[in-house]
Amino acid sequence: MSPSDANTAVEVVQPLELTDPNWFQKAVFYEVLVRGFFDSNDDGTGDLRGITDKLDYLQWLGVDCLWLLPFYESPLRDGGYDISDFFAILPEYGDLADALTLIEEAHKRGIRVIADLVMNHTSDQHPWFLESRQDKTNPKADWYVWNDDDHRWPEARIIFVDTEKSNWTWDPVREQYYWHRFFSHQPDLNYDNPDVRRAMVDVIKFWLDIGLDGFRLDAVPYLYERDGTNGENLKETHDFLKQLRKEVDEQFPGRVLLAEANQWPSDVVDYFGDGDECHMCFHFPVMPRMFMAVRREQRFPITEILAQTPEIPEGCQWGMFLRNHDELTLEMVTDEERDYMYSEYAKDPRMKRNVGISRRLAPLVENDRRVAELLHAMLFSMPGSPILYYGDEIGMGDNIYLGDRDGVRTPMQWTPDRNAGFTKADFARLYLPVLMDPVYGYQSVNVEAEQRDQSSLLHWMKRMIDIRKQHPLFGTGSFSVVNVDNPSVLAYVRRQGDDTVLCINNLSRFAQPAELPLQDFDGMTPIELLGRVPFPKIGELPYFITLGPYSFYWFQLVDHGSAPAQ
Amino acid sequence: MKIEQLTPLLPAYLARQRWFAGSKPSSVGVVDHAQLSDRLHWVLAEADGARYQLLIGMVAGLPPEFLHGHDPEVLGVADSEIAFDGLLDPDLAKVLLSRLAPDEVVSRVRPMGAEQSNTSLVFDDRLVLKVFRRIHQGLNPDVEVTRALADAGFEHVAAPVATWEENGTHLAVVQPYLAGGTDGWALALTSLRDLYANDGDDPADCGGDFAAEARRLGNVTAKMHVALADALGTGAPDTGEWAGLMERQLERIAAQSTWNASARAVFEHLRDMANPGAAIRVHGDFHLGQALRTDTGWFVLDFEGEPARPLDERRERSSPLKDVAGMLRSFHYATAVALRDREDFEREAIVPKAQAWEQRNRAAFLDGFLSTNGIAGLLPADPADIDGALTAWELDKAIYEVGYERDHRPEWVDIPEAAIARMVPG
Repeated sequence: MSPSDANTAVEVVQPLELTDPNWFQKAVFYEVLVRGFFDSNDDGTGDLRGITDKLDYLQWLGVDCLWLLPFYESPLRDGGYDISDFFAILPEYGDLADALTLIEEAHKRGIRVIADLVMNHTSDQHPWFLESRQDKTNPKADWYVWNDDDHRWPEARIIFVDTEKSNWTWDPVREQYYWHRFFSHQPDLNYDNPDVRRAMVDVIKFWLDIGLDGFRLDAVPYLYERDGTNGENLKETHDFLKQLRKEVDEQFPGRVLLAEANQWPSDVVDYFGDGDECHMCFHFPVMPRMFMAVRREQRFPITEILAQTPEIPEGCQWGMFLRNHDELTLEMVTDEERDYMYSEYAKDPRMKRNVGISRRLAPLVENDRRVAELLHAMLFSMPGSPILYYGDEIGMGDNIYLGDRDGVRTPMQWTPDRNAGFTKADFARLYLPVLMDPVYGYQSVNVEAEQRDQSSLLHWMKRMIDIRKQHPLFGTGSFSVVNVDNPSVLAYVRRQGDDTVLCINNLSRFAQPAELPLQDFDGMTPIELLGRVPFPKIGELPYFITLGPYSFYWFQLVDHGSAPAQ
Repeated sequence: MKIEQLTPLLPAYLARQRWFAGSKPSSVGVVDHAQLSDRLHWVLAEADGARYQLLIGMVAGLPPEFLHGHDPEVLGVADSEIAFDGLLDPDLAKVLLSRLAPDEVVSRVRPMGAEQSNTSLVFDDRLVLKVFRRIHQGLNPDVEVTRALADAGFEHVAAPVATWEENGTHLAVVQPYLAGGTDGWALALTSLRDLYANDGDDPADCGGDFAAEARRLGNVTAKMHVALADALGTGAPDTGEWAGLMERQLERIAAQSTWNASARAVFEHLRDMANPGAAIRVHGDFHLGQALRTDTGWFVLDFEGEPARPLDERRERSSPLKDVAGMLRSFHYATAVALRDREDFEREAIVPKAQAWEQRNRAAFLDGFLSTNGIAGLLPADPADIDGALTAWELDKAIYEVGYERDHRPEWVDIPEAAIARMVPG
C-alpha cells in the first residue's frame, strides 16, 4: 500500500485545538503496550479498540498524552520494532479505522496520542527489502546498505552483543552483505538515498495527516554511516532530523518528535539542535541513578548527573521515566569517565540482579510503597515531562521467568475477575499469562480495587498528577538545588513567575533532619501542597525541617499574609 | 569612637569565641587597628602572646535582627553604640568583601559556621569569604598551598579568587563556594548507619556502601600529593627527625604504657628505612571532615595544618603517608562514633560490622591512592616499607589523639587506645 492509497481509504481526525504549541513541556505521558492494555474482541490480545474503551480511565488519572508502542504490520520478531508495512496496523490490533477512532476519542478527552516509529531500519520482510535483495539493479537496490565484504565500518559497535556477531549479514540471494545496527532481521535503511528520505518523511506525514500528535523516534542516532566513524550521532543524521522537523512544523504545528537516543546527556542535547530538531529527548542516565541514590541513601548519584546535563534550548523538554518496556539499561556507559554505573551499580549485588532483565518499579523497590512514592515525587518534580509505564500507577509486578522483556509486558490488571478483567478469552489464549502471585497478582493489585480505596497508590498518583498540573513550573520553571549538609536530603526549588515550589526529598530509610539556607525566601510561608498545611514562616536563619523515612515535601512558598495562589 | 573605648570589652569577648585558643585571657592589647567604614573597625589584638583579627561592627539604637541568638558575639556598648562581631551584619560583610574583591556584585550573605581558626561567610551561594581569626605572621598556608595546587592544575581545591594581605601576612581569602557539597564525615556516617541497621555484616552487600567513594577519595589524595610535589618541590626525607618527633610525643603522652617498647620498634623501623620516598608539603591535618563531596567529585579543604602549631612547623615537608594515616584514622573514628550512637545492648553485635566497614574502606582508599599515576615516586620503594611507614604514621596519629582526648574528651580516649592496641599489642 502506498500513502496515497491509504489516504483515500481513511478519514482524517481533527487535530486537538492548539492552545499551546509547547504542550509537551507540561504534559504527563503514559506508555501503553497495545497488546497488553485491554482486549476488546476477546481473542486474548489487547487492541486499539481496547485502549479506546479505557480512555475514560486515563482521563481520570490525568494523562495528557499516550505513547503507543509499535502497532504496525510486523512479523513480530522484535516486539513490533521490525516493521513490514508502515501504513498498516497489525491485524491483531485492529485496522486504520480503529486507530482513527482511538485518536478521535482521545482528542475529545483532551488526550494526545503519539506512536513509536522506527526510522533506522525495517523488517527483512518489508516489501522494500524483499525487492532490494533481488539484485543490484532493481529500483530499490540502493534503499538498504549493501557491501561486497563485511569489513567496512569496523568502528561501529555491535549493540546486541548477545545475539549478533557482526553488523553485516550475508544475503545469499543478492550475494552481498547488508548492514544492520540491531538484529540481523532488521536491515538498516540507506539514508544517503533521497528516495528513502522522501519515503520516510511520507510515512510521518501520513500519520500526522490522519491526526497522530507525534512520534517517539526509535534508535535515531544510527541513521547514517560514514567511514572512520562509529556511525552514531553523525552530522548527516542531525541534518536529516532538522529537515524533518522543518516540514513537520510547517504543515503540522504542535506535533511532537521525541527522540530515543540512548547516549550521554551531553551528546543527547545535540538532538534538540538549536530548538530546531527534536522537541523532546529521553533522559536515560538519571533513571538508574534515582534508584542508586535511594540505595546509597545519598543524593550524589542524582545531583552528579544533573550537573552534567547541559541546558536545553527554549521550547524543548526532557522525557523522564522511572521504568519502561526495556531493561534497566547500562548501554550508554561506554568510556571510563562515564563508567559510574558499572563501578557503582552493577557491582552492587542487589542491583546486579536487575541488570539485563526487565523489572517493574514495584519489585525493583521491593514493594516498598514509600520508595515508590518518593521516586514518583522526584519524577514529577524534577525538570522534564514524566512518562509513566502502564501498570506502574497501580504498583503492578513482573514475571521474570517469562524471559527477555516479556516479564514487564504482562496484561494490565483491571479487576479481580478472571484474566484480571483484561480479556474474556480462555486463559490459554492470552498472549502472556496475567500475574497471579499472592503479592502482585491481579486479585490484590488491580485498577478497580485501587479506585475504590482512597488510600491506594493509584489515588496518590492521581493526586500528585493533579497538583503537578496546577503548577506549570514543574514543566517549565527554573530548577535550582538547595545546599543541604545532610547527604541523604535532596532539596530543590522550582520557580516560574510568581509561583515557587520547594521540594525536599529524604533518600534515607531513616528519619533525617535538614537545615535549608532559604534566606532568599525570607518572610515567605511554606504551604505543603498535598494537604495545604501552612508551615512556620521562613526567616533569616536556616530553615529547619525533619523528614520521615523516604518522605518528601512539596511546599509552595507564598508571601506571608497573602492567600496561596491556586 | 576611639579604639580605647573598645579595649576594655575585648577580654570577655575573646573568652567567648570558639576560635580563641585559651579559656580566659590574662591580658589583651591592641597591636593595630583601622576603620574600614563608618561602622566597621578592624582590630589586631594580642592576647597571651597570640594575635587575633577582630572585625567590629557598630550600630546605634536597638539590636538589629541579625544579632538575635548571638549574644556571645556582642562585645557590649561603646560610645552609646552596640559593638558586635561585624561579620554578622550583612551590610558590613559586603563592605569587607568589596575591599577584597571590588568587582564582585553580591546580594545575599549567610554565615557558614565558625571553625577553630577562621570565620566563613557565603555570598549568593557563589563565593566564600574566609576571615582568619588567629593571625600568624607570614603567608597563610591554606592560601599559599591552595593557590599553588590550583596553579599546578589540581582541580580538587577551591582556588582563591582574592586575598587580603598586609605586610606579608594573610588576613582573609575569597574562594568559590562549592555548592551542593557534603563533607566526607557526614557521608561516612550515613553509610555506617545504614550498615549498622542492616541484617548482614558485609558492607559490600549494604546499600550505603562507601567503598567507591573511598576509592575515589584515595585517588584524589594521591593526585593532591603529586601536585604538591610538583608545585612546592620535594626534599630529602629525614626519617631520623620524623621518628624522633614520634618518640618524643610517645614519651610525652604514653611513657608508662605497656606497649611503649613495641611502639618504639615501629618508629625505629621508620628511622632505618633505606628508601623512605620523598618529603613534600602535605595537607597536615587530613581527615574526612576536610574532604567535601560535590557533584563534580571530592574537593580537599583547609590546608592550614594544625592551627595550634607554629607556622614554620606547619610548612615543614613530610611524607604523603602522614596524610594517608590521618584519613585512615578518620575512617576508624567514624566507625566508633557511629557505634556510640547505638544502644549499649546492641553494640557488641555491631562491632564486626564496624570492623568490616573499616577494613573495606581502608582497602578501597589505599587501592585508589596507590594506583594513581605518579604517587609511587613519592613513597617508599619497597611495598613492605609502605606498610611499615604507614603503621608508624598511624600509630603517631593515634598517640596524638590519646593526648587530645585525655585533655578534651576523656570518655572518648578508648577510641584511639583501641587502634593502638591493634597496631602494637602490649
